[in-house]
Amino acid sequence: MKKQASGLIWTIILSVVSALYLYPIIMVLLNSLKKESAITTAGAFTAPTAETFAGLENYVSALTSQGFGKSLFYSLFITISSVALILLCCSMCAWYISRVNNLLSRMMYLLCAFSMVVPFQMVMFTLSQTADRFRLFFIRFNNPYTICFIYLGFGAGLAVFMFTGFMRSVPIEIEEAAMIDGCSPLQTYFRVVFPILRPTMISVGILETMWVWNDYLLPTLVLDIKKYRTIPMLIQYFRGSYGTVEMGAMMASIMLTVIPVVIIYILGQKHIIKGVLAGAVKG
Amino acid sequence: MKKVFALALAMLMVLSLAVGCGGTGTTGTGTGDSAGEEATGSVYYLNFKPEQDGAWQKLAADYTAKTGVPVTVVTAASGTYETTLGAEIAKDEPPTLFQVNGPNGLKNWVDYCYDLSGSPVAGELTSDSFALKSADGALCGIGYVIESYGIIANKTLLAQAGYAVEDIASFADLKKVAEDITARKDELGFAAFSSTGMDSSSDWRFKTHLANLPIYFEYQADGINSTETIKGDFLDNYRQIFDLYINNSTCAPAELSAKTVDDSRNEFLAGEAVFFQNGSWEYGALTAEGAYTDDDLAMIPIYVGAGDEAKQGLCTGTENYWCVNKNASEADIKATLDFMYWCVTSDEGTAALANEMGFVIPFKGAAESPNLFVKQDAAMTAEGKVPVSWNFTTMPSEEWKNMLGTALTAYAADQSDANWDAVVKAFVDNWAAEYALLNG
Amino acid sequence: MEKALRKWFPVFVLPTLAAFIVGFIWPFLQALYLSFCKFTTVDNASWAGFGNYIKALTDDTFSYSFLFTVAFVIVATVLINGIAFMLALVLTRSIRGTNIFRTVFFLPNLIGGIVLGYIWNILINALLSKFALPLIALNTTAGFWGLVVMLCWQQIGYMMIIYIAGLQNVPPELLEASQIDGANRLQTLLRVKLPMVMPSITICLFLTITNCFKLFDQNLSLTGGAPGHDTEMLALNIYNTFYARSGPQWKGIGQAKAVIFSILVVGIALFQLRATRSKEVQQ
Repeated sequence: MKKQASGLIWTIILSVVSALYLYPIIMVLLNSLKKESAITTAGAFTAPTAETFAGLENYVSALTSQGFGKSLFYSLFITISSVALILLCCSMCAWYISRVNNLLSRMMYLLCAFSMVVPFQMVMFTLSQTADRFRLFFIRFNNPYTICFIYLGFGAGLAVFMFTGFMRSVPIEIEEAAMIDGCSPLQTYFRVVFPILRPTMISVGILETMWVWNDYLLPTLVLDIKKYRTIPMLIQYFRGSYGTVEMGAMMASIMLTVIPVVIIYILGQKHIIKGVLAGAVKG
Repeated sequence: MKKVFALALAMLMVLSLAVGCGGTGTTGTGTGDSAGEEATGSVYYLNFKPEQDGAWQKLAADYTAKTGVPVTVVTAASGTYETTLGAEIAKDEPPTLFQVNGPNGLKNWVDYCYDLSGSPVAGELTSDSFALKSADGALCGIGYVIESYGIIANKTLLAQAGYAVEDIASFADLKKVAEDITARKDELGFAAFSSTGMDSSSDWRFKTHLANLPIYFEYQADGINSTETIKGDFLDNYRQIFDLYINNSTCAPAELSAKTVDDSRNEFLAGEAVFFQNGSWEYGALTAEGAYTDDDLAMIPIYVGAGDEAKQGLCTGTENYWCVNKNASEADIKATLDFMYWCVTSDEGTAALANEMGFVIPFKGAAESPNLFVKQDAAMTAEGKVPVSWNFTTMPSEEWKNMLGTALTAYAADQSDANWDAVVKAFVDNWAAEYALLNG
Repeated sequence: MEKALRKWFPVFVLPTLAAFIVGFIWPFLQALYLSFCKFTTVDNASWAGFGNYIKALTDDTFSYSFLFTVAFVIVATVLINGIAFMLALVLTRSIRGTNIFRTVFFLPNLIGGIVLGYIWNILINALLSKFALPLIALNTTAGFWGLVVMLCWQQIGYMMIIYIAGLQNVPPELLEASQIDGANRLQTLLRVKLPMVMPSITICLFLTITNCFKLFDQNLSLTGGAPGHDTEMLALNIYNTFYARSGPQWKGIGQAKAVIFSILVVGIALFQLRATRSKEVQQ
């Protein structure tokens, strides 16, 4: 009886804390529904009234005026292509590293671990210069369609490190059996190793997605700003541009960025939390 | 079979790496969209003035439609020009046309400036004083716009308060009028000054433009054009005018740090304030959609209670110098020079600069500006008033301005002597420190 | 199998290795070299010896931002881990709604740094103007605590998840045994639970310390370093030295600062690694 009562008290306390915890997001949501003129510094706490309610006006203006649709497309494309490339290439590389014992493997492993720790500011300038000038035949890497190669390079550290850590705990016998049965290493990889790696793939995928989707500095420095802006770049640009702060449109943009994340999170909660956990424990 | 495949893949990778590394040395400059562009070159203009972004985009599109030469205009967000230029200039396709704000700005970018001597656009300049030269005599920058700023007044509201612009001919007059309006604020329904927006995107009106006045009067008193150690003799006047602004405003001084120049303009447009410190570039926004007509508006000099106020004119000058990037390819440089020449000589170009952007340009083919404030400036000069020159081009660095802006903002929120001392420190001590860095 | 796999090196390793070289190794080495040079692009470097390092170390804004960062790291680490651990303790009891609470607390972690900064910028400014205090742009105290609160909001959920996993791994037999021995709740917590979750604590400490040290996006969008350089952390200071300063000498100084910064971060990581290793041996 006593235990139940204390449980109820905790539930109430935590409900209040949760409500407070969600408040910043709710506040932005409420403000995004207000008319531009009603959004003031001091009035951020008041909910929209009948007079100040603007409906979805701000959302429409955010979606149309500032190239939000384009930015959304670039952000999505960059995230999906980069994460797919990282997952495929790094898991293949990690399998090699964990199964072939030579100097290269050991060096790669160490360097990958090292690259995870080095702050981005260290290579910020040289990486942006390299990315800007590097050419693969005629392909350049300063656009959303090929920037995934740069992400593969800079994101390889974490992915290779995590995949290798996992592969080392997997017994080698199944793979050997597959090879003896006449599978080539490529076939073995896709038929045997790939399925084993699936849980780790999800973990790595989630961590890398969170990184690429939210990344601001790398695309700002690498992408050709004449043509492309990702969503974080757009939001940062909103504030200073034209000396104008279109607060309504900005609030709406923030919500438009947050809402998909919330939906995906609620749908894939279990995997996301597991993924984060795996990443943390390995890292 | 597998071996062949693996080998081929390996070759491909190694080759691509080699090509990639080799690529860093080559001078591919085209946008890669078509071969034709390579031959004619293209223009990439990093524009400094956010309020003119739309007009530049349109002008660039017109030029491309006419000549087929691609012109890209990118406008840096307010207050981030140097950051953006710093990042962009190091890229493979750097801006071909960029801006510096005067001799001190030039010191930082001189290594990138193409010598414009003898170029057709330089030949169009009406006066040599708009040519910005480096220490060794190369023509690095061309001032492309002359602007004036002062205190824009709403004559209609001023009349409601019982005054006329002619009543204001000194700081004492201005103070009297402003404080009288503040005293009757509730009765009149408007304030004297629109908000002194100190948001970092907008504080240039005070950390740069207003700060020009104490610098100007000190230079005048000492008979110099620039100095590495400012004394700050006229900072009390600076404080005087700033106090007047913030204490006779539409909002409480503490709220100013979040206000922008947009807020300020909107207040002025809504008739909430009589005065609005800004420049001739505001003319378009103030008269758009019939908000105000020329009869409603006037620009008066910023009186600070120094010098001969009877003879003080508007603050007129330039801080916008066009520079051409000498590291661009020859074709791009040529395309850029052609574009500049077209802007200042062709009918479309001069019309756009004069009407849509509201500029007076110091070039022979300039179209007459319909800008009221520009006309006022000319009239005042004709009356024998002396324009206040733009000495903020001699400010040591952006950093200096930013630190001054911060100190001013802090002072606006709490007008204590200690906070003003911080402003003085940011003004005087930091000036010398930043000059030392600039030259070291 | 190792032999067969070795031949397939080009397929398995080369793509990642090539990207890794372009995206990390080459920029890193170049950055190291450039820290001893005066340069504005990678092509026009001229040797400057240790000049950049001397200038970096004598730069007042740099030493200030170092102290500011250290203060921030200490306060934020203590708060984040303390609160996260308490939440984890509560949420591992059988309370109604546990899953919902976990979901809510973890949510902010998925929002990107730039967006997060703006949300809090709006919220904190609204709060400050309610109390008629100077806004965040000229309020160093509010800037500091704003950063702390914002980071708590973002990171607590993440750390809480790791602590929950750690607590759930405590064998129930141990808890029962301690109860039979007559230990009260506090004793159980301090003598049994705490030692058992030590590995989680080290991981969380490491993650918070490095995250706080490298903080950039949130700093840029919440305070932008204002007023002046008063809330500028190391990463932002380096970025500003690189790009906001336009003289030809500044890039070299920025790069030297970045190297010093990297040494600091790598040093912390190595120290952490040793600490973890020694703990593992004890168990």
